[in-house]
Amino acid sequence: MIWEVFRQEEPGDRHTHCGNVHAPDEEMATLFAQVQHGRRMQTNSLWVAPKEEIGEVDADDTEFGGTTDKSYRWAITYNNIDASFAEEVAESEADQEEHAEKRGGT
Amino acid sequence: MEPAEAELFRLADDEYVLAERYTEWQIYAPTPESDLALANIAQDEFGHARLWYDLLEEEYGYDEPDLLWERDPADFVHSTLVELETPEGDWADTVVRGYLYDAAERLRLEALEDSSFEPIADRVPKVQGEEEYHREHAQSWLDRLTDSADSRERVQAAVDQLFPHAMTLFAPTVDEDEILDAGVRSRSLADLREDWLDEVVPYLDSLGVAVPDPEDVVRPEPLGRDGSHTDDWFDLHDEFTASYRELGFDEPAELRGENA
Amino acid sequence: MDIETVKERAGPREFSPADDLPREYREAATRMIQFHANSEVMGGYLDKEFTRMAPSLDRKLACTAKCQDEIGHAQLLYRAAESLGVKSREQMLDELQNGQGKFLNCFHYPVDSWYEAPMIDFFVDGGAMRRQATLKNTSWEPYAHAMDKVCFEEGFHVKHGEDILRELMRSSKANQERTQEVFEQWWPRILQFFGPTNDESHHDDFAQQVGLKTVSNDELRNSFLNMYVPKAEKYGLEIPEYPRIFERDDGTMAVREDDLDWDEFWTIAKNDYPGSEEQIGSRRQRQEAVSWVRESMDDWETGGGRAAAGAD
Repeated sequence: MIWEVFRQEEPGDRHTHCGNVHAPDEEMATLFAQVQHGRRMQTNSLWVAPKEEIGEVDADDTEFGGTTDKSYRWAITYNNIDASFAEEVAESEADQEEHAEKRGGT
Repeated sequence: MEPAEAELFRLADDEYVLAERYTEWQIYAPTPESDLALANIAQDEFGHARLWYDLLEEEYGYDEPDLLWERDPADFVHSTLVELETPEGDWADTVVRGYLYDAAERLRLEALEDSSFEPIADRVPKVQGEEEYHREHAQSWLDRLTDSADSRERVQAAVDQLFPHAMTLFAPTVDEDEILDAGVRSRSLADLREDWLDEVVPYLDSLGVAVPDPEDVVRPEPLGRDGSHTDDWFDLHDEFTASYRELGFDEPAELRGENA
Repeated sequence: MDIETVKERAGPREFSPADDLPREYREAATRMIQFHANSEVMGGYLDKEFTRMAPSLDRKLACTAKCQDEIGHAQLLYRAAESLGVKSREQMLDELQNGQGKFLNCFHYPVDSWYEAPMIDFFVDGGAMRRQATLKNTSWEPYAHAMDKVCFEEGFHVKHGEDILRELMRSSKANQERTQEVFEQWWPRILQFFGPTNDESHHDDFAQQVGLKTVSNDELRNSFLNMYVPKAEKYGLEIPEYPRIFERDDGTMAVREDDLDWDEFWTIAKNDYPGSEEQIGSRRQRQEAVSWVRESMDDWETGGGRAAAGAD
């Protein structure tokens, strides 16, 4: 069966999908994944999960983030309040601004 | 020969020849995944051979041609277990060979951890680090292949064939007493052999594979350890040295980096 | 999606398994990637010979690592092809074994000496790297991803290949002469590596229209020449008189396409060449010899495996 493999580069990082291996069970999958996906790239940990167990929902199935206005949940809306008094609040606002650009708006 | 020198030759030759047989599987393995795994193990083993051959160079003044390319094949002291040709398609042979070898290797390395010969002791952890995967790999395959009757039969046939040769892993050479007296290795080959039997026999038994009684085993004539080998070895040696001889380069090429 | 939309949208990494693509695209992509994957495997048959021949321990290690990479790339590529939903990996491997699977011309010629190592490991691999670099812009995303990894790994192959060539050409006169001889034998095959000349390639037009291929065979061949002819000459190799290579107005090099033996090439493309039979036959034999292992693993998998290693 097919196992999808996820690699964590350094401790504390998220695991990211990096490919798959064909193996009859989990133990063999980890043995094979170590060689195939941990041999050269910096690797702290690998996960393997059966491909058929991985569920998916994508942009064709659903409107991620909704369709109606939800600005109330974004710091950038509250722009008659100055955030600079607290670094962490300002940082949160800046991050959200960056992601707003990626999302293209709402 | 110095005791450490003798022990190094055993270590290096074992790993080198085993690696040569493993690489024969490249591109021929049952699946891409199994191909990659065995190829990785082969590279590890060549790497270990290189660690030990390097010590022979550094401490005893040999060079690579002395150790591999221009050395009399009858001077190699590896166990006959590692030199035997693998019959075509016989994945069971390789897995059994790996298992028997890796179990012995773990015991040997443990007995070298506190070697009086510091350069050996220094390198042991590096080798141990890679050997664990080898053992897991061999055992995983054995667990699964012995689960159905047909493949278990093949594993049985491989054990029947290889077990007598595996005994030569522990065959002593004339240097054995000195190796122990000097503290190069902390345990005798006889002791290692006992521990090895205590481990491999029950394990194989639990998989439904019969192991011949060591007392009943007819030792194969060539011991490997004393330079006597099967024809398989002489053929292999000829093959892997042929190009070296034909090319006649001044020196064998080296490709090292910061991890050497 | 209809084919017109595909052609309109065609661009780097544009299409992924989430898209509903027309059969024509999926079949063309499968054909292309399957060919690539098969080539990695069949190239391995040549490369493993060099591992046994290697004249130093470090060279041996480099050769075995290269072989391993090839199988690793095959694994990635079969997966990228499988993701198109036309054929399973098993089907593609079966096809390769039974002679239906196509693969690179260069791998239809068995090797038997170390002198051939730089031909494969430097020139053929160099050509492959050139092509693979352009495929990072292919429209099928999983294929492009595979190329990222392949390109990351292959740098050492070409550099090792060059090192082997350097060593040979800086050694004895006999070695230099032998290498030259072997080079002359391989050179036309290497030039044909990039496939048929633009006029004769059937599938290419469509592949380019849908963004699977981003550079034509001739362009790739010529850019290869610009990079590798100077290297060959640097090490003292003489470029054979035929096929004729000439300099174009813009200073780049090109080859006279009709100086190459396209008959031999097309015979190979049908797996009909004697070398083809030898290599495919070898594949079939070796794979049949281990089919028992795959069966045993399938049994294990469907049997749910043993709960714990214990007595019967």
